Amino acid sequence: MAISIGIVGAGTMGAGIAHIAALNKCTVSLYDINEEVIRRSVERINFEMKRSVDKNKISDDDMKQALTRIKKRTNINDLDTCDIIIEAVLEDIRVKKDLFKKLDQIAHHTAILATNTSSLSVTSIAAATKKPERVVGMHFFNPVHLMKLVEIVKGAKTSSETITQTIAIAEKLGKKTIVTKDTPGFVVNRVARPFYSEALKILSENVTTVEEIDRIVKKSGGFKMGPFELMDMIGNDVNFSVTESMFQQFFNDPRFQPSHIQKQLVEAGMFGKKTKQGFYNYEEK
Amino acid sequence: MKKPVKSEKIKSKKVSASRSKPKTEKSKPVEVKQLICLLGDELLVKEYSAAFQEKGIAVQELKNLSTLKTSAKKITAAFELTLASNEQKEKNLQALDETLPENVPIISSSVTETILSQSKHSKHKHRFVGIAAFPTLLSNSLVELSPSIHTSKEIADEVKTLFDSIKKETAMVQDGVGMVMPRILCQIINEALFTVQNDVATPKEIDEAMKHGTNYPHGPISWGEMIGFANVVAVLDALYHSHHEERYKVAPVLRQMAIAGIFWKAKE
Repeated sequence: MAISIGIVGAGTMGAGIAHIAALNKCTVSLYDINEEVIRRSVERINFEMKRSVDKNKISDDDMKQALTRIKKRTNINDLDTCDIIIEAVLEDIRVKKDLFKKLDQIAHHTAILATNTSSLSVTSIAAATKKPERVVGMHFFNPVHLMKLVEIVKGAKTSSETITQTIAIAEKLGKKTIVTKDTPGFVVNRVARPFYSEALKILSENVTTVEEIDRIVKKSGGFKMGPFELMDMIGNDVNFSVTESMFQQFFNDPRFQPSHIQKQLVEAGMFGKKTKQGFYNYEEK
Repeated sequence: MKKPVKSEKIKSKKVSASRSKPKTEKSKPVEVKQLICLLGDELLVKEYSAAFQEKGIAVQELKNLSTLKTSAKKITAAFELTLASNEQKEKNLQALDETLPENVPIISSSVTETILSQSKHSKHKHRFVGIAAFPTLLSNSLVELSPSIHTSKEIADEVKTLFDSIKKETAMVQDGVGMVMPRILCQIINEALFTVQNDVATPKEIDEAMKHGTNYPHGPISWGEMIGFANVVAVLDALYHSHHEERYKVAPVLRQMAIAGIFWKAKE
C-alpha cells in the first residue's frame, strides 16, 4: 500500500520533499496556509521534473503519474489520514511548537510527526506534543531531489520503533540515512561548520584573499565549491544565523564563534547571490 | 620591471644570478637538468617523488644526510618534507643549507612552523620557501606555497616554475601556521572527532553524512586516517600554540588515535 505523506510548508524544502515523495509513488498532501505559495511550489516541482525528463532520468509518464499524486491542501485538518507528516516551515522554535501542538491533535494516532529542522532541538519541538515518542527529526538537504542524505534525528523521547519506521520511509524516498542524536547541528551542519568558520578566520588574518581561498579549497582540497562561493549561495544571512544559533546552543564554545566579517555582510544586506552582492559581486555589467 | 612577491617587499638584492643565466628567456625553464632531492616523512617523500618522476624529472630520495655531499652540485631544488617541527627537521634543513650551493631553493613543509622561523638561523634565508606539504593533497591540481619575508622573488619564481613543469598550479599565501587547506581540513576532521566523542553518530555514519549531505570528496574520518591522525594533531597543536585560542583544542579521542596510530571504530 502506498505511503501517505503530509507536508506542512510549501517552500523550497517542502516542495523538494513533495517532489521525491510523489516520484517514489507516495500520496502527497502538500499543505500551506497560503494557496499562492502552494501553486508556485507545484509549478516549481513541475519545472524540476521536466528537467529530469529532459536528462532522461525519469520518463514523461513517471512525471505525469507523480504530479497526480500531489494534492494541494489549505486545510490542515485534511492531513488526518497521513502515515507521516513532515514539517518544513520557517526555523522558529515558537512557530514549530505551536504547529506540532496542532498536528498532535489532528494526526492519526499512529502517524509519525517529523520536523525538517536543521538547527533547532527536536526534543524541544516534541515536548509540545502529548506523544513525543512519535516525534522525530528528518533533516533533508537542499536541493532535496539531488542530495542523497537524510539525517534521522532521535529526540530524547523518540521511540526506537519510530526511528525504524522513519528510516524505512526515507529509504522508500530513495535516500541514504544516518541516525543522529539530538545535538546542535546534528552531524552535517556541525562537522561542516569549520569549512566556513576557519575560512573566515584565515581571511580575517589576511593570509590570502576570498578568491584565492576558494581556488585553494577547490584545487588543492578537491572540494566542489569554495567556502565563500558556497556561503554566497546559501545566503550569508542564513549561514550567519545558523552559526550564531549553534554558538549559543554550544554555550559559547569558541569552536563555533561567528565571524565579524560575515556579520558585517549581513548588516550591509550583502546576503550573496540572492541580493547580487556578498563576498563576490553578481551584478551584471 | 620588478614585481616583488607580496610578503617580500624589502629585499631581493643579494640574490646574484649564479644560475639564472640569460635574462631574456624569462619564463622558459632553464636548460639545466633538473635533479630534485627529497627528504623527510616517508609518506610525503613518496607522494612528491612520484609526482616529479611521472613528469620525467629526476629525483633523489635521501635516506640519510651522509649521501648529500656527493650529489650536492647536481641538485637543482631540495624538499624537506618533515611535517612536524622537530630536531630531525632542523638537522636536515641545516645540512641542506650548508651543503647546497646558495641559490638552490630549499622548499620545506611549513604546515606546523612558519618558514620564517625555520630559516631563522640560515645564512641564505632568501632561498627558503614554505609549502603546504600534507598527505593526500598532492593528488589534486594545486600546490600552496608561502615565501617568508626574506624569500627572494627569483627563488619564489623558480619554485613556481618547477611546479608549472609538473602541471601543478600554485598559490602564494602568507607565511602562517596551517596555511590554508591543511588548516581548514584539520579543523573539519577535529570537529568530526568531537562528534564521535559526543557519540552523536558512528564514525562510519559521519563519513557517509559528509559525503552525501555536502558532497565532500572523502569522509573526514577516513580522510584523517589517510593523512595520519598524528599529522592532524600536529597541525592543530601548532595552531593552538601560535594563536593561543581554544578553537584549536584537539578532541581527546583524536589525540588518542594519534598516539595509537589507528582508529578503533572506523572499520566497523
